[in-house]
Amino acid sequence: MSLRVLTQDSADRGSQRCRMGLGLMSTHGLNLGSPLLVSIARGTCLCTAWPRSDLTEGFIQIDLKCVSPNLIVQPSLKLSLGPSQLTPLTCSKLRHIKVTVVVQSVDFRKNTPLHIINELVKDMMKGVYVWKKHVINVEDWDAEIKYVVVEEVSPDCADAGLVTAKTSVDLVGTQTQRHFQRQLRDQPVDPLGGLDEVCASLREMLELPLLYPGTLSSLGVSCPRGVLLAGPPGVGKTQLVRRVVGEVGASLVVVRGPEVVGSRPGESEEALRAVFARARAEADEGPCVLFLDEVDSLCPRRTGSSAPENRVVAQLLTLMDGMNQSDRFVIVGATNQPDSLDPALRRPGRFDREVIIGAPTLQQRKAILGVLCERMPVAPSVDMAELAQRTVGYVGADLGALCREAAMCAIRQDAQRSGGQEIDMSHFQQAVKTVLPSCLRSSLGRTDLSPVSWEQIGGLQDVKLKLIQSIEWPVKHPDAFMRLGLSRPRGVLLYGPPGCAKTTLVRAAAAASHCSFLSVSGADLYSPYVGDSERALAQLFQQARACTPCILFLDEIDTLIGSRCGSQSPNSVQTRLLSVLLNELDGVGFKTLERRGTERVLQAEGKLDYQEVCNKDVMIIAATNRPDSLDSALLRPGRLDQIIYVPPPDREARLAILRVCTGTMPIDDDVYLEELAAKTELYSGADLEKLCKEAALLTLQDEGMGACSIKHTNFLKSLDTMSPSLTAQQIHTYQTPLS
Amino acid sequence: MSMPSSFALQQALRKSFQHLETNQKTWHSVLAECNPLVGSVGNLAQQLRALSNVNISNTPLKAFPDLQERLHFKLVQALDIVLEKLNEKLVLLQSVRDSNSNHVTAAFQLYERNADTLDLYACTQRSPVAPSIADMLEWLQNAELYYKQQFLKRKTLLHSLRPDDLSLLESTPKRWDSLETLSGEEYITDTLFRVSFFVESHKGE
Repeated sequence: MSLRVLTQDSADRGSQRCRMGLGLMSTHGLNLGSPLLVSIARGTCLCTAWPRSDLTEGFIQIDLKCVSPNLIVQPSLKLSLGPSQLTPLTCSKLRHIKVTVVVQSVDFRKNTPLHIINELVKDMMKGVYVWKKHVINVEDWDAEIKYVVVEEVSPDCADAGLVTAKTSVDLVGTQTQRHFQRQLRDQPVDPLGGLDEVCASLREMLELPLLYPGTLSSLGVSCPRGVLLAGPPGVGKTQLVRRVVGEVGASLVVVRGPEVVGSRPGESEEALRAVFARARAEADEGPCVLFLDEVDSLCPRRTGSSAPENRVVAQLLTLMDGMNQSDRFVIVGATNQPDSLDPALRRPGRFDREVIIGAPTLQQRKAILGVLCERMPVAPSVDMAELAQRTVGYVGADLGALCREAAMCAIRQDAQRSGGQEIDMSHFQQAVKTVLPSCLRSSLGRTDLSPVSWEQIGGLQDVKLKLIQSIEWPVKHPDAFMRLGLSRPRGVLLYGPPGCAKTTLVRAAAAASHCSFLSVSGADLYSPYVGDSERALAQLFQQARACTPCILFLDEIDTLIGSRCGSQSPNSVQTRLLSVLLNELDGVGFKTLERRGTERVLQAEGKLDYQEVCNKDVMIIAATNRPDSLDSALLRPGRLDQIIYVPPPDREARLAILRVCTGTMPIDDDVYLEELAAKTELYSGADLEKLCKEAALLTLQDEGMGACSIKHTNFLKSLDTMSPSLTAQQIHTYQTPLS
Repeated sequence: MSMPSSFALQQALRKSFQHLETNQKTWHSVLAECNPLVGSVGNLAQQLRALSNVNISNTPLKAFPDLQERLHFKLVQALDIVLEKLNEKLVLLQSVRDSNSNHVTAAFQLYERNADTLDLYACTQRSPVAPSIADMLEWLQNAELYYKQQFLKRKTLLHSLRPDDLSLLESTPKRWDSLETLSGEEYITDTLFRVSFFVESHKGE
């Protein structure tokens, strides 16, 4: 039998009564006014039992006067309760209680002497049953005191008891209602994965001045007042601040850029001043953090003209300077474009420290996934380390979306076959296809390539081996490379006659190594504006570095990048692109903003560590069929140091290619591929594929649409009509060593 | 249901309601005495306001030295006296509240002591002449809570007054009146009517 929960009568407000039927009372052994504990949704409520005035059974009305703290915020009652959720209690009279009082206004808190508050609380609490750590709601008294939090009861053998006239009430402290409610709301802190180091440094900075102001002043140093968080979108800057604030127990004043900007002149500045005043008032009650989210929109670089933004910037600067030592609050700014901030803001005294949060590294991704999947029913077969490897370039927000998508996949599947609710690896694999890494979003080289396996490329065994050695091995087995003192190649150049599967080889290499893959062509880079192409290339490298391990593929590199020694003018776009590329390949370093994680010294801790430490570089793969027109500076070791010749297929390779091409075709038993391979000297892979297609078409032409197998004669016929695309002369030039 | 304990409880309830009735009368009379005092607090506040607005050196009264300070002192002194009297009344109200509270508590404790011998169903039995014991206990508790809240509100109002906060002083009479809720008073009166048969019927016995 379940009890329907009804709203209470207005006359019962604040009486702590729980109205129920007589039968229920007698089965629980309750008398009039006996205390009982009601367990509701996520908390408990202490009431006294009373019969309903109409004496009907099956209903219950609860007065939430004494409840556990989480019910104060969300007093959502369930529609029905089971009788087992009522527990009768025996309560003794209390000798002593300790309470914290929550008052409405700051004025009352400041102006009223403590002994008067104590008297009031004592009057209010008389005759109330209390439970340790519960909150007594006294809003119906219409007084300044809104809640009383019971901190301790004595004798402490029992959790509950009755407050009588003889109970002494001890006031531990007072709080304002706003502070109290925020504290309640902040209690469940979202866990945050992979940001432990940043979190700790930020925490220390907030805690030192806020919690130990005396220590710092005795040392004679001023505490740092401002922190600037910089990093790409989605890495968790805002969440980090909320988390740290929640942990430190500080209150948070959030300013979003557009909120303070007003239309009238002077309005924005006024709003900004009001925000600082609010933070100052909050700081009176306890530690406080003023959080300027998207500070770049609020404080852009000042321009020469007297734009209205300049005044806002100036106001913010003066406000930050005007904070004196007695203001106990800290300013945290967050931005994803720190370079567009006004430089005056980024000096000690304003934003003292800058914390850069980069795109998460492998280990960080693993930690984030661990946190995200904690509350999800994930099958034990799911390997977080492998998933972290597959999600190169994903930031925290992406990983959140990935987990959600995987859960959605599981739900969709479960709806069909109503199996156990578990998320397994196949769901994650599906989700990886739909959720794209945001590091690469809006990147110009982003390519969605259909994976090719090594087996789909016929022949070229030694080229494949070289590629596997230089691309797949360093990514997958960095520990072995370290052990033998090998360094991975920076770049690979594939050259050879056209149509010999250079591009397909790269596709296979990218698919096998689980790297993020960027491909760039001339169309992406060229622009009518001077300097635009160079910037695009530099940006491409920046994005590639944000999601290492990464393969950057430059197809037809001879047309993209010129040569300095050739006939071209020294200042053409091509030569400038060449200089950018050379710089990016081995420049002196990269910008501080691109920092990711913390610098780690390699300790032999495990494979993941090796992968994280070693795979920090972007690998370049270039392909060309005119190797002679490349600049010699590009080809020296340290840049494109692995130069692989992709030869036209020899007889055996041609046989393998034909086997692959005819794999999906229904061919007659008399088709003799060895003969075809022997007859197709100087044919490239593309030619051979065309040959097979022609033969199939001829079959359709001869035998009509009903044809179901391809005869050998058709292959020979199509061979007669074709001529090889390569010449012996051409091949000879490739085979002479590169100068 | 054992008769003696039930009878004793009914007697205690009867006594409590009789007390409630006298208490209600006393409460009313004390409040009536308070009204002129609260009114004079408002008047004095207005006078203080007027004093702070006038610039005596511009009036013919400028010949008197320190007139403004003296007048201010006098008014504040008068205010103090009125508040003192109000405080006395507050003590009276408190005693009413306490005696009421004591009776209710006593009745309730009597019930709790005998709760084991009293049948729960019998406690909720109503008759044409007498409400059930549960109802009466509930009404008594409600009345107690009402007086406690009333007293506390009036006390906090008087405690919040400060001589430098003139607007607060000026609004005191209005706020004092607004504290009196008709529904609350009516509830007490209704309760007394409802139990009148019960109280009267056994008086003679």
